[in-house]
Amino acid sequence: MSFTDILSLLRITLHAMVPLALTAVGEIVGETAGLFNIGLEGILLLSAFAGALGAEAGGPALGLLVGMGVGAVVSFLFAIINTYWKGTQMVTGIGINLFAMGFVAFGLIQLGAPGFHDVPSSVEVIKWRTGMGSMSPLIIVALVMPFLIHWFLKRTRAGLMLKAAGEMPEAADVAGININRIRIMAAVFGGILAGLGGAYMSVAWLGLVTKGLSAGRGFISLACVVFSGLNPLLALLGAFIFGFFQALAEWVKTLPNKTIPGEFVSMLPYIVTLLVVSGAIGRVRFPKALGVPYKRE
Amino acid sequence: MSSQGGSSEGGYFLRADRITKVYSDGTVALKEASLEIHSHEIVGLLGENGAGKTTLTKILSGLLPPTKGRVISPKGPVRFASPREALDFGIGMVHQHFALVGPFTAAENVALSHESPFSRIRLPRIKTQLEALMEESGLHVPLDVPIEKLAVGEQQRVEILKVLSRDVDLLILDEPTSVLTPLEVDELFTLLRRLKSEGTSIILITHKLKEVGSITDRVVVLRHGEMVGDVRTSEASTERLAQLMVGQALDEAGDVVELSTEEIPRKAIRRAVDRTGESVLRVENLVAKGNTGEIAVEGVSFDVYGGEIFGIAGVEGNGQTELVESLTGLRRTVSGSATINGTNILGIDPRKIYKLGVAHIPEDRWELGLVLPFTLAENAILGVHRWKEFRGILSVLRWGKINKHVRQLMERFDIQATGPSAPAKSLSGGNQQKLIVGRELAKDPAIIVASQPTRGLDIGAARYIRQTLCDMRDKGRAILLVSADLDEVLAHADRVAIMYEGKFMDVCSPDNLDRERVGMLMGGATSEACKEAE
Amino acid sequence: MSGNELRPSSRLRRGAHRTLTGLHPVFESVIAGTVGLLVGAILMYMYGFDPWRAYFALIKGAFGGSYELSSSLARATPLILTALTFSICLRAGMFNIGAEGQMYMGGIASILIAYFVLPRGLHHIVGLLFAALAGAAWGIVPAILKVTRGVSEVISTIMFNWIARWSALYIAIFLIADPLRPERTLSIPVTARFPILVRGTDLSYSIFVAVAFALVIYFVLWHTAIGYEVRAAGLNPTAARYGGIRNKRTMFLAFILGGMGAGLAGASVTMGQPPTYAIFGGGSLTQLLNLGFDGMAVAMVGRNHPIGILFAALFFGGLNAGGRVMQFYGSNPVPLEMVRVVMGAIVLAMSIPELIRLFPMAKAKGEQFIAALKRSTKRGERGESA
Repeated sequence: MSFTDILSLLRITLHAMVPLALTAVGEIVGETAGLFNIGLEGILLLSAFAGALGAEAGGPALGLLVGMGVGAVVSFLFAIINTYWKGTQMVTGIGINLFAMGFVAFGLIQLGAPGFHDVPSSVEVIKWRTGMGSMSPLIIVALVMPFLIHWFLKRTRAGLMLKAAGEMPEAADVAGININRIRIMAAVFGGILAGLGGAYMSVAWLGLVTKGLSAGRGFISLACVVFSGLNPLLALLGAFIFGFFQALAEWVKTLPNKTIPGEFVSMLPYIVTLLVVSGAIGRVRFPKALGVPYKRE
Repeated sequence: MSSQGGSSEGGYFLRADRITKVYSDGTVALKEASLEIHSHEIVGLLGENGAGKTTLTKILSGLLPPTKGRVISPKGPVRFASPREALDFGIGMVHQHFALVGPFTAAENVALSHESPFSRIRLPRIKTQLEALMEESGLHVPLDVPIEKLAVGEQQRVEILKVLSRDVDLLILDEPTSVLTPLEVDELFTLLRRLKSEGTSIILITHKLKEVGSITDRVVVLRHGEMVGDVRTSEASTERLAQLMVGQALDEAGDVVELSTEEIPRKAIRRAVDRTGESVLRVENLVAKGNTGEIAVEGVSFDVYGGEIFGIAGVEGNGQTELVESLTGLRRTVSGSATINGTNILGIDPRKIYKLGVAHIPEDRWELGLVLPFTLAENAILGVHRWKEFRGILSVLRWGKINKHVRQLMERFDIQATGPSAPAKSLSGGNQQKLIVGRELAKDPAIIVASQPTRGLDIGAARYIRQTLCDMRDKGRAILLVSADLDEVLAHADRVAIMYEGKFMDVCSPDNLDRERVGMLMGGATSEACKEAE
Repeated sequence: MSGNELRPSSRLRRGAHRTLTGLHPVFESVIAGTVGLLVGAILMYMYGFDPWRAYFALIKGAFGGSYELSSSLARATPLILTALTFSICLRAGMFNIGAEGQMYMGGIASILIAYFVLPRGLHHIVGLLFAALAGAAWGIVPAILKVTRGVSEVISTIMFNWIARWSALYIAIFLIADPLRPERTLSIPVTARFPILVRGTDLSYSIFVAVAFALVIYFVLWHTAIGYEVRAAGLNPTAARYGGIRNKRTMFLAFILGGMGAGLAGASVTMGQPPTYAIFGGGSLTQLLNLGFDGMAVAMVGRNHPIGILFAALFFGGLNAGGRVMQFYGSNPVPLEMVRVVMGAIVLAMSIPELIRLFPMAKAKGEQFIAALKRSTKRGERGESA
């Protein structure tokens, strides 16, 4: 394995890390406030698709914005259903995933090629030429965002309010916080980040949209969240680790000898996730009111 | 009721005007309760469990809206849409179950109720403020430790500090001393006296008569949601207060008026105890911890014999729940022993305990006793679903037999429902409880553990259940009756123990018990209640 | 007075199958179904399709004739089984998202019977057995992880889905591929194939397996002591504990049964679907793909009850079968993928418990309608109208 190989692996890892990190950090904000969104997979898919369309309509920046907007809207719907309408978060999330699977597949057909759509490179987000090859600037965003969120959660009163809403809504209510409103805001923020992650995949990294583009990344992000114990910095680490294994899987496929079957390598990210989650669970602690709609009496 | 007393310095600060509160499940928590609160005074709010004290204060502090009636300030009626509004108005409440966020430190908890959401929390500034407050009030807590790691007493101090930091005019404390050591109680009271002298109004919810005497200016007594007494503390003796709490009212002249809402002829129901000789349940030095890790049952010993009702009276929260759970396989104990006819029942599976002849009527019929979405029939076999009559080969349930059994239960216990397949949640509370009682009695048990069996029931259902228990007793069964309803215990039990803070204060026959003395025991004022030793 | 407020101790899972506003649950499923179809219609319209023609084609293709009906039933068969997987575990208070992976493993396991020769009936049984065992084995690991390490079954079952997919692909391509047709696995031997039920269609006797399994599950859950324990533990673990039920045991049983169902779903495809009776390796296990996830939608619409699931599966099977006709119908046909969009919308609608409350007029009308029905059935003999 040569030095260029290592650099290449690092490059791919960083790229693969982006959607995982963004989505995970967004979900951390949501879960801190008490909402568990299993529909991240669907949001990634929808925003990837929408982002591609947006980019073709008005350039890469618009693509990213559209992606974020879609993420916000879907998360808003999820939040409304599960706060004011006292819904069941699990079922809503599953519904989002199903809907997204169908909608994106449907949309791709509308665009001409069933299951696949290429994003013209002219509208892709620019990549910088670096020593390691071309890299997306969004990697910087993905690296910085966890630190920002970490600061936000720890140091601002809003962060405190979020945690209170998720941990002990009764106390937050007494302190004058509108639980439903704050949960909605948290979810929408998470949706914006996930939307950015999704749009990144189509517009800034892979340059295409497929039916299965998300490839379980939404769920891997959830695993990152579990692993991180709602600490954004650990989530970033988790995203890096999982991204690494995804990159490894890609790289092994390019090896001439095919000593390790591609299928085993493809399994690796998921196995690693499982191991990490099984190992990490002991010390992880979730907000007490996670998943429970709040009622005042 | 006329409101005598209260310092008239400064007029009234707030008035509750005929507040009625009915919860969404139909429970009437408050019935036209009125109360006037003045500045520079400490009002004690006294009453048993379920009397409505917490509800009234939740309404005053903005957490709940009244169903009828209103809250009035000198400037006119006020309505609080949230606790925050009440806080801004100047009313702060220290809750019994603290409204604190576990992983937060004290400083962070306080920061939660201060202004502007997107500001950076200036913890240093808050800490300075808190430190000054701590000096002033004499309440000291570590400011940087997550409060879930603090002792309960310290947590409460944080709760108090939180409210004090907002500079309130009316301070409400809900059972504050239940988690404090005597020394801490003294410190708290010193603080309260000082606040009062500075003009704050204070409402102190308590069931402890001693406290009332030592700190309050005025006492207001609630019973079953109604105001039954409002007197100056100096004019009310502990005996009088005990009477008020447990069932007698004072009329205009301050004389005692009988106010029993149910007629329970005492002598008629009870008979002479006819012990069949062997004790069915023997408990020795049982020690058990509560959910917070503190000791809830502190070395309790007693026997229950066949043919008697052994009653445990006392305000809820003094260890009764933990005791019952220990005896029915729902809680691990720390030490001590408990046997049924010689066989150990501690730390074993509930099903095995039932097999030994124990029936358990649980205190929380929704959480514990029933699976609400299940039908009557399905609930009727909970705990006995593996018995031979109900189960055939291959573990198949014999619904035919089960339904017949349920119909018999329905008839025998007069359970009103559309049939065995009615969902349990469609039944009224009384019928639900009758179902549970029927189910448990059908086990033909040697001992029945009945925990708050008539809580929340209408008079008819309550009467029925009490009668049933007495019938079982007459048939020679042993009955352990745990109840916060003193009338019930005194009227039905053959022997009564008063439980307070995890211990039995005294055990004797109700004939030898003085009602007001029992009230005092329940409130922790130790004095002998039994005129003869048992 | 009815005390149907769920306690604060309810967590993520408990809400999913609680009985809702008091209106009959079937009514709610119908409303959600209607909402889903409506959403589909709106989307179709937005993209320039004609919703009426599309739905017309859909219904015709689903139930228009015996061929169409058979096609719907054939599509419904695996859905019944994967829906049961989800529902059994939900009844036990768990979210088993792993039907997809458990099904893949079951399907692969069933192919293994191609390696030996057995007489007709026995071969079928062995095939089903392998599939059920494989599915159960795959399903029990998340249960073990949950009980021993407290791992959320949501995450673990999803991870196992992906691991199963790649494992199944590997096995299909490298271990049990048909030497003559390497793009797919060996075929199920003729002695183990389910005969076709209706000539000219792809509906085979495997549907009886599905229906039988549904009936067995119904029987177990409602007519046996252990099934009773599973349901009680799912609804109120504290009361279950009071009733002497060991919640860990019920959890394991639920995952085992659920896994079996998913495994059988895989077998129903391999052993029951002409013309190849095999699994295609090429990257996505096409015949099996997404049957697990669709099963969850079926489960929810079927109110997590075996009988309801049978009907819901027929509905969803009809959607799929009809979709195949719809995608070729007319000059501007709607693609098949729209069906999944409708499914997702239906599930979203189902997640709102107070769905009815959002439509106050509908609720009032609905209650009037039901009251009228009750009155008219009472007077039915006299022939009076409500």
